[in-house]
Parts: sequence; C-alpha cells; structure tokens
Amino acid sequence: MEYLLTLAILAALSAVLAIGLNLVLGYGGLLSVAHPIFYGLGAYASALLTMQANVPIPLAIVLAALGCAAASVPLALCSLRVSGDYFVIVSLGFQLAVLQIINNLEITGASGGLSRIPTFAHGSDRNLICLGVLLVAVAATLVLVRTLVQSPFGRALTAMRNDEEALSALGRDPVRMKISIFALSAGIAGFAGGLYAHIFQFLTPSQFGIETSTALLTMVVVGGTATIWGPLVGALLMTCVPQAIQFLDLPQAIGGPIQGMIFSVLVLIFLFLRPQGLMGGSRGGGGLDAWSGRRPGRSSRRPDVIVERLAEEVGS
Amino acid sequence: MSAILQVIGLRKRFGGIVVADDITLGLRPGEVVGLIGPNGAGKTSLFNLITGVIRPDSGTIMMDGVRIDTLRLSERAQMGIARTWQHARSFPSLTLLDNLLLGARDYPGDSLLRTLLQPGISRRMEAEAEQRAMQLLERVRLAHKAHDLASDLSYGQQKLLGMARALMSEGACLLLDEPMAAVEGRTYAIMREVIEQEAHRGQAVCIVEHNVGFIRDLCSRGVFMAAGKVLADGPVDELMKMKDLTALYFGAAA
Amino acid sequence: MLDPSILLQLAWTGFANASFTCLFAVALSLVLKVNRIWNFAQAGMMVCAYGFMYAGTRWLGLDVLAALPIGLVSTAALGLALERFGFRPLRRRGSSSLTFFIFTLVVSQLCTYLAELIIGTESTTLIDNVVTPVRLIGDVAVSDWDIWATSTMLVLLLALAVFLKLTRWGQRLIAVADSPDLAELYGTSRDTAYGITMVLAAILTTAGMVLLGTKAPTVPSSPLQEFLLLALLATILAGVGNVFAAGLAALLVGIGQGFAVLFMPAQWTPMLVYALMAVAIVVFPRGVKLPRIRWRGVVLGAG
Repeated sequence: MEYLLTLAILAALSAVLAIGLNLVLGYGGLLSVAHPIFYGLGAYASALLTMQANVPIPLAIVLAALGCAAASVPLALCSLRVSGDYFVIVSLGFQLAVLQIINNLEITGASGGLSRIPTFAHGSDRNLICLGVLLVAVAATLVLVRTLVQSPFGRALTAMRNDEEALSALGRDPVRMKISIFALSAGIAGFAGGLYAHIFQFLTPSQFGIETSTALLTMVVVGGTATIWGPLVGALLMTCVPQAIQFLDLPQAIGGPIQGMIFSVLVLIFLFLRPQGLMGGSRGGGGLDAWSGRRPGRSSRRPDVIVERLAEEVGS
Repeated sequence: MSAILQVIGLRKRFGGIVVADDITLGLRPGEVVGLIGPNGAGKTSLFNLITGVIRPDSGTIMMDGVRIDTLRLSERAQMGIARTWQHARSFPSLTLLDNLLLGARDYPGDSLLRTLLQPGISRRMEAEAEQRAMQLLERVRLAHKAHDLASDLSYGQQKLLGMARALMSEGACLLLDEPMAAVEGRTYAIMREVIEQEAHRGQAVCIVEHNVGFIRDLCSRGVFMAAGKVLADGPVDELMKMKDLTALYFGAAA
Repeated sequence: MLDPSILLQLAWTGFANASFTCLFAVALSLVLKVNRIWNFAQAGMMVCAYGFMYAGTRWLGLDVLAALPIGLVSTAALGLALERFGFRPLRRRGSSSLTFFIFTLVVSQLCTYLAELIIGTESTTLIDNVVTPVRLIGDVAVSDWDIWATSTMLVLLLALAVFLKLTRWGQRLIAVADSPDLAELYGTSRDTAYGITMVLAAILTTAGMVLLGTKAPTVPSSPLQEFLLLALLATILAGVGNVFAAGLAALLVGIGQGFAVLFMPAQWTPMLVYALMAVAIVVFPRGVKLPRIRWRGVVLGAG
C-alpha cells in the first residue's frame, strides 16, 4: 500500500511537471529541454530557505517558485537570439551548467546532496497527506493551464506558433509572451520542486539531469503536446508502466535496467507509431510536429518542392 | 495636409542587391497611393522596412511625428501601421473570428497577468472586439464562416481574411501588399469595395499592385519604383503618360 | 615559479588523454554537418562499440586488434540502422528537432541499459593491464599508450581529411552538407551520403572507445553522462559545420583541464567545462570565430 502511495506521489509530481512543460513546449512552441533545472532549483531553494533561514515551508515553496520564474528570464532571452532548433542545445547547456554549479557548491551539499530537509507531513499517514496535497496541486495546475489556453493569451500563443512575424505585425509582442510563458512554466516547476524537497527530504543534483529531461519530454510527447490532458495521461503511463516490472520481483541489477528499457521502448513506439500522442487529435492540436503547420506526408522529393527550397537557400 | 507616415532617405542593401536607394516618401490621410513598378523593384521591401520586418541601413521613418525606425514590429503596429501580406499569412490553427480578434489594438491577452487575474475585464474587452470583428467579417462576406478554421478557406478568402484582420486595429496607415494578386471574380469585387471604403474613411492607404486598371481607378497618387529607387511620384494619370516609365514597366514585364 | 617541464608534462598528458574525446567530437560534428542532426545516439554507439569489443576481448579471449573488426562492424551496423530506420522516417515526416533529440537520447539510454544488463554496472576495461611502459623524452614522461593514442588519433584525422577533400564520395558528403537539394539534383544520393557519414562516425567512435577502454575503467553509463557532453561542448565551441575545429576544441579543452589542476581543486574542473559551454552558447551562438588559416588554398578547420 505504501508502495502504491509513493508511486502515486511520483506520478502526481510528474504530472505537475509535465503539464508545466507542455505550457512552454507544446503551447508556446519553444523547444526547451531545461525544465528539470527549474524543478531542481525550486527544490534546492525551498529546502535551503527552510534549513538556513527558518522560513516556514509553504512560504519557502512559494518563494522558490517565484525565484525560478525569475531564473528563467536569461533562458527566455536566449530563446530570442537563436533559432528554434539550436535552442534545444542552448537549453540543455543551460541546464547542465546550472547543475554543475549546484554540484560544486558546499551550501547545496555538492554531489552528496541535501538531506534531512524538513517536511510538512508527519506520522503514519504522511504519504496520504502528501498525496492529498499533490492531487490539489495537479488539479490547480490543470485548471490554470486550461484557463490560460482558452484565454486571449492562449489564442495569441497558438498564433505565435503558426506565424510569429504575422502576429507581431498585428501589434502583439512575442518577446513579452515568451518571457511570460517561460516564467510561468518555470514557476510551476519550481513549485513542484519545493513540494518534492519537503516530501522526500533528500536531494541530489543527479535527480535533475538529462534523464529527467528525457523522461519529462517523453511524458509530454506520449500524452500529446498542446493538449490539456495529454501530459497527465503521459505522466501516469510513463511512471506506472515501467514500475510494473516491480511485481516480477527481480534483483535490482536486472530489474533496474529492464525497467529503463521498458521506458525507452515505450517512447520509441510512440515516437514512430503515434507521434501525436495519446490525446492528440488531428484538428488544431497535439503532436510535436503539429504546431509548425507542416503537413505530414508532404514528400520532400518532389521536384517543385526541391526547387522551392533551393530558391530559399540561394536567396530570392 | 501633412503626411502621417514619412519616410526619409531610406537605404538598405543585402550584399550586392540594393532594395532601397535613398527613398523619401510621404503618405497622407485620405490618400490612396499606388506603389507600382517591375518585380524586384523593392516595393515589398519598402513595406518591410516601414513595418519593421527589416532594419534600414540608414534613413528615418516617422509616424505621426514620432520616429519609429528604432521600434520593433509589434510596437510600430501599435502606433497605427497595419498591413496585409502578399500570401495572406492567416493563422491556420485558429478560426476566422480568432484571427480577427488578435488584431484588436487593445488586446486583453497582451498581458499574461491580466488574463489570469482580471478575467472580467478581459471578457468585456473581447465582447466589444467580437462585435467589431463580426462587422468586418460581414464586410468581406465571410461572417457565415466565422467559426471555421482559417485553413479551411480558399486562397481568395484567405486574402479577404487578411484584409479584415488588418482593419481590426483601425490603424491610421494601411499598407496593402498586392491585395488583388491571384484574386478574381467576386473576391476581387469585395476587396475593391473594402479598399474604396477605407479610402473614403480617411485612412492613409498605400497599395502595391500590378493591376494597372485597378491603380487608375482607385489611386489618387502613384509612386513608381525600380531597382530600389523612387523614379516618379505624382498623380496617377500623369505617371501613366510618362513614356520612359511605361517602357521600363512593360519592357521589364515583356 | 612553475617548472616548464611540469607544464609540458601536463600539456602532453592532457593532449594524449584527450585523444579519444577528440575522435568523439569529430564524429559528432561530422554527423551534425552532413546529416544535420545532433546525434545524441552517439553515446549509444559508444556503448555498442565498447560492448562488442568487451565481448571480443573478455569472452572470446581475443587480442584488442583482433577484436576490432567486431567492434567496427557492430557499431557501423548500429549507425546505419539509426540512419535508415530512425532518422530517415523522422526526416520524411518533417519531425521537429525535439523529436530527434528525444529519439537519439532514448536510443543511447536503451543501449546503456542493455549494456548494464549484459555486462553489469561495475567499471571494466578492455584489457587487464592498462599500465603501459613509460619512457622519458626530454623531461616528459611518455607512455606507450600515449603514443598509440595520439598516433591513432592523428592517422584517423588525416585519413578523414584526405577522404573529405580528395575522394569523390568525400566531396559529395561536403556537397550534401552545404546544400542537400542541390547535391541531389546533381546526382548524389542523399541517403547514401547520410549512411556513409554514419559509418565514418562509427569508425571514429569505435577507435575512441578502444583507446578509452585500454586506458581507464569505464561503466556503461559513462558515454552518455560524461563523454558525449565533452563532444557536445567541443562541437558547440567549434560551431556547426567545423568538423576538425571540433577535434581541436576537444584537444584544447583536454589540455586546459590538465592545466586547470594547477590552480583549482580537481572537483571543479568539470565545472570549468560547463562554464565554457555556457559562455560559448551565449556569447558565440555560431561557434568561436577562428582565424581562417589557408593551406594550399584549403581552409583549415572547416570541412
């Protein structure tokens, strides 16, 4: 039972993260893989605020979230300077660089990490309490994203994905929009990080690296980008299915890699067979490749397409 | 009457290609200016320079007495410059109505915080904008498709949509890039009617067009460009009489 | 006051130890240049190369050189499979770079998990005795391994340069890198070019892993955690399209890391690497501008 509760807690945390990532990635169309770093920054910030400055836990979590929103601004500004494709690499570099800093600072416990972080749930029912708090967080995040997506801001985001320049010519400011959406997404991740820190009470930098990036990305992809329920479904699926291996009671040396392999194979299946994700449909949303307006199946070998592209390259 | 949009000494080159060679031009309210010339003359580039898609190498652009050449695209649009594109560039994932709502000058979604924290005000602003949007859709005869996706429209309809979208902001200066290109029949008639209406309303309109008949009918003034330079600027019928210009134009086209 | 011989020693050791990172960086940069893909699956190729070499030397009892073909063939097969069954369908679909990112990373992770399952998670080497005889050249201690490593690296780089500049297929690869559509109109099959590039990358990767495996204990997760990121840094510093400059960058970073030990505690040197990457990305989004050195009319560093 405890095991199931812990699994549910992990799934719920992943859900909040995935929903937040979908905001910047799916709806914003900004190819950032650095999401886990805000998760990590939020976790460490909240932990340190409570441990070093005796800030009460709820306040620490909120402050950590706000700090993460602010920390996302440099990354958002970078996104304006480089092309979308290269930004994947830029955001990865940002994530790894910040991670290295955390890995080397004494105050964060360096690679050994931070332990004995204070918690808000005590007693035999603590897992239940934590899960309760997280379910509220998931619901709140869903409501937030849904409100946003269906709002005028959400409409502008879709337009920005379709044609940023045409949107600018109408008087809307994509720069401001990108900074806002990054900040909100990072704030959500930071909030989740704070919760994580005070639930599991132990942090190491390795929890926020490239594997976490991949895991989160796949949750969003498998669930369906630019959909409201997609990330939640993706998080549930990708957290629970690999864990099913636990029921086989294999030794860790075998079970660990197999669990990882199940995860990887699942991702590959979805990438190739159902790129729009579980919740992604064909009309107006869903799927990593959907936002650019590119029509799939448009053969790149047709002579007229080739000539068109050549003309672009040569410069007309 | 003084010009509301003034371009002074604009220059721009891309490597060896000069797209703007010391262009000085003014657009006055209530005037419909036809920007004509052979392909590659720099007409669309001039629009791009004015709206902010590209930055000039030198020169100034003034809108309503304020210098705008250092401003971003979105900021210039906020100052009242509206444009249409040669290839419509509507937002395919959105409905026609949504496309138009994005053109409102005062858009509730410009601020993320306002969207989240002041839903009531947003709703009110949207309701007003929606009324205007539907009126514009009526004018371009697309009101019945208001809730269809823009990607479902034909090419001609997309251009009408682009036109309506540009009118949403009620900007003082309207730049139309080949609104009649690849458009015919009923769409042509609707487009022409809308442009005439705008001219009567007192906007400063500038149209890039190849259709000489259209220019003669609609434009009070013509500007002839070739190879990045303004070669002639005056009443349309006088322009049409200049032999060397017509030779240049039709010679190039032949 | 620093003894120049110490500096020279650190420089040499840094240089020799960076030989395999150089090969990895060149491989990554080459695939980026021609196939236009940030091939994070190279870590998977590294694991594959190591795994098959390990099987050859440890299970079949072969000599490293005898086991080399096993490593080469298997890694080349993986590279070709990646291109044919992974990159090509994604490319045809017009997939975004994020899709490629996820795909390549997941492939690497899959290879890593597979290796962990088969070889185990403990650190291993390809041969039992990784300590080779050392001789003094001047004041600098040079080991046999140092010599193999640096010669292998230089020979392979030279071979690649000759291939790219002087052979027809090499020039076709460059043509595809510059303009795939134009190259195709002139009769070069893009898919063949992409395949050849992956094979070249496989050769460089396998060689690099052999050098690594005969020098230091490795775990299956090292390629993804450590070496791929060094290759990534070098590629970013050199800029997209500058294959040999990426190799040079890898060597310079290696030498720099060797020196860094003089004035910062060892644990901070990875930090130096990432700081460099952060600076490189932000300040030089298109790569550090190297002076264009011409030799017999050919621009060094590019191509």
